[in-house]
Amino acid sequence: MKHNRIIAAIATAGIFLSACGGSGMNAQSGEESGGRSASLDGAQDGGTLHVLTFQEGASTLDPQRVYTGAELGAWGSTFTRTLTSYQPVAGEDGTNLVADMATDLGTASDDLKTWTFTLRDGLTWEDGSEVTCADIAYGVSRTFAAEVTAGEGPLYALSYLNIPEGDSDFGSAYPGPWLADEEQQALFDAAVQCDGQNITFNLQVPVADFNYTVGLLAFAPVPKDKDTADQYGLAPFSNGPFRVESYEEGVELVLVRNENWNADSDPVRKPLLDEIIWQFGVDEAVIDERMLADAGEDKNTIVYGGILPENLQTVFGDDSLKDRRTDGFDGFVSYTMFNVETVNCLEVRQAVWLALDREALRTAAGGPFTGEFATSFVAPLLAADYEPAKLVDGLNEDGTANVEAAIAMMEKAKEACPDLHARTTGEGLRFDHPDSATWQKNIAIWIDSLGAAGIKIIDNPIEPSKYYSSINGDRGDLMRAGWAADWANASTVIPELFSKDGGFNYHNNEGDPAFAAFQTKVDEAKAETDRSKQSKLWKELNQYVMDQVWSIPGSATKSQNLVGSNVRGAYQWKPFGWYNLGAIGLAG
Amino acid sequence: MFYFIARRSFFAVILLFVVSIFTFWIFSALPADPAALTCGKNCRPEVIEANRIRLGYDKPFIEQYGSYMKGIFVGRTYGEDESGVHCAAPSLGYSYDRHECVSSLVAKTLPVTASIAFGAFVLWMVFGIALGTLAALRRGKWPDHFATVFSVIGISFPSFFLGLLSVLFFVIWTKILPFPNYVGITENPFEWFTALILPWSVLALLSASTYIRLTRNGILEVMNEEFVRLGIAKGLPRKKLIVKYVLRAALTPIATIAGIDLAFLLGGAIVTESVFNLPGLGKLTIAAVVNSDLPILVATTLISALFIVVANAFVDIMYGFLDPRVRTK
Repeated sequence: MKHNRIIAAIATAGIFLSACGGSGMNAQSGEESGGRSASLDGAQDGGTLHVLTFQEGASTLDPQRVYTGAELGAWGSTFTRTLTSYQPVAGEDGTNLVADMATDLGTASDDLKTWTFTLRDGLTWEDGSEVTCADIAYGVSRTFAAEVTAGEGPLYALSYLNIPEGDSDFGSAYPGPWLADEEQQALFDAAVQCDGQNITFNLQVPVADFNYTVGLLAFAPVPKDKDTADQYGLAPFSNGPFRVESYEEGVELVLVRNENWNADSDPVRKPLLDEIIWQFGVDEAVIDERMLADAGEDKNTIVYGGILPENLQTVFGDDSLKDRRTDGFDGFVSYTMFNVETVNCLEVRQAVWLALDREALRTAAGGPFTGEFATSFVAPLLAADYEPAKLVDGLNEDGTANVEAAIAMMEKAKEACPDLHARTTGEGLRFDHPDSATWQKNIAIWIDSLGAAGIKIIDNPIEPSKYYSSINGDRGDLMRAGWAADWANASTVIPELFSKDGGFNYHNNEGDPAFAAFQTKVDEAKAETDRSKQSKLWKELNQYVMDQVWSIPGSATKSQNLVGSNVRGAYQWKPFGWYNLGAIGLAG
Repeated sequence: MFYFIARRSFFAVILLFVVSIFTFWIFSALPADPAALTCGKNCRPEVIEANRIRLGYDKPFIEQYGSYMKGIFVGRTYGEDESGVHCAAPSLGYSYDRHECVSSLVAKTLPVTASIAFGAFVLWMVFGIALGTLAALRRGKWPDHFATVFSVIGISFPSFFLGLLSVLFFVIWTKILPFPNYVGITENPFEWFTALILPWSVLALLSASTYIRLTRNGILEVMNEEFVRLGIAKGLPRKKLIVKYVLRAALTPIATIAGIDLAFLLGGAIVTESVFNLPGLGKLTIAAVVNSDLPILVATTLISALFIVVANAFVDIMYGFLDPRVRTK
């Protein structure tokens, strides 16, 4: 999921629970849930909620293109319903999957390659017409249209549905609804079948948690006659309790109550508000001042985008704001990938990790409020699958470099892999990163801290828009990245980042002697239907990856927010790392 | 005179043509790949190439420029299948970031910028000329000192600082004004006015400083001209002398600069629009910079250039009317 469009380089979607336990952060940063503002105490029906953001617009309102955790939750809770969703509560229970448009969580065949869902009665669009199985199938088909979705949204439909490979821009035999001929359309219709109220997905691989997959908005319905292709995101058709009245990037998004939403068909959403108005492009300094002043309609306001670093002390040093502020993980983990094919020596990879001054990198980013040193590639929000891993021996807990240990490890590397050792200390390792202001600072820290252990870095900044397409082809020895789970299961983390079919695996690790055992266990975990057993496997696999040092974990990132004093029900919805927008109410 | 206007207009068109080629070239030469920018994280090389073709970025530069110019006059369609998008003339490109035709975006944002620019222009001209005139006529006395201090303050403070300060004072602390929330003048004139009063004031404060000094110096200079001394010697009433002769002569060069300043502002008051969150051309431009939205950047740069070139030509032509010597040069 994308963090936002400015740092779109970071990858994927949703998120999950906090079980981080002892945090090791300083006195300024600690998890806070929002106090009174997180509960619905005193909330009344009606009112207008304002959302202020410095962003010029939403990343998109198009369900098949949206891939930002907060927006997945915000649009899903207001105007785009899916077959399944998450329990709308604070805390760990918020990661529980619940039936939404479907009557239950779906039925899988024994081989986990066929999933069937039954639609509830009374599902309606904003014009009162019925939401049909065909609408869902059509919505899913849009993912295949590269000329429309442009690879912006998640591509699970492409990797899971039983449609052969072909010569479409996405490498599928089905090019999407606009370009497909009858024969190609038949391939899709065979993979996604409608039978009355039943919709059946035929998969090419076993997927134990496909009912989580269909909770992504990429599997949401779209009425074909309302589809405006690339421009659908400007005016999406609603099947939820709110509808889009107007959307103008750089100005505002106005959501009003959808009078044709059938509450009886929706066991998930309990809307209170009349209207939600997003105001885009507000200066961040002005937002903070307005939220602190808490006057007029700003009492009914939340913020999308956090608090400026210079105001964090003010907000978290003032106890009177305790009922209005939150501080918590946003679900992302940043990390640095090794190209295991070129850095094919464990000792060198361990030495790089030991020599890296992670504390300096965190300080450069803004200090402990920005996050904690990651001890897993799975974010702490993903409670069920999260467990701090045992890190490399000698790694300093305070994040500073252990130069002596790194030098000692390089001595071992000299014996184990003399050629790579010579290149590492001579020519150097090439580090690919987006050419951003942040990374211009970070790379200097990398060069300095690794240089103290005799490891040389060749800086390779890449124009940000070309970063991922660039490392898709020509990969350096090291590459930066970030990731969050697409749904409440590490199946969207460990396999995606490290396995053979992973959509975001840039490690070139298939040739590593340790890979075969890893892949076997990943396949086992993916097919495991017992969730507790599956969690155990993910934790073991995370430890395995950590032991192989295919990547160096960076930070489990955090965000802070302040809401107006009338706002109620603004709890952090764990699957999305932001509020459950549609459930917010106002007091007074 | 007709020959002068025709010649000046012809050169303005040539200049616009050169500016458009240069602008188009400079953005096409940037390292950012506009086709890659249309793609998300899952952007395979095939998708980038398909988008390159759809947007016409696979064509040689001259062909791209030709298609762009043709689109301005006859419109343009992006994509060939049913999912394609048609942008009617005058097409200024299609923003794959905002999923809208750039001309639609310009049509939405230009009225906002024009509202800001013309309002601020009137304020700073009236205030700047009035205070500058007062300072000149009361030279060495308190109005002159006040005007000098005012000018120094206005010139010294950057617009973002004054903008934020005014928001903090008038909106957040004293709550005298609501936070600027632009609505069209035809939609709600009062809200339109209240949304713009702060931006107008900030821009006027900054620009008036320059005009105070220019007016003051211009008047003092003209006051020393022989024709003024003659008027005084002949017993012409002071008011008539100042208004009819001194101001008229002193303000001619100021009008020239004012025309260019207004044109410059019409291209987008980037900082002011950002601070006050006014969805104008400047804010559209800055968002395009942040998102590397090249079609919007090309269009807004061309529009800004158009305003400047037209204003220059207009001022030159007006000069021709005011000063016959210009026509004969």
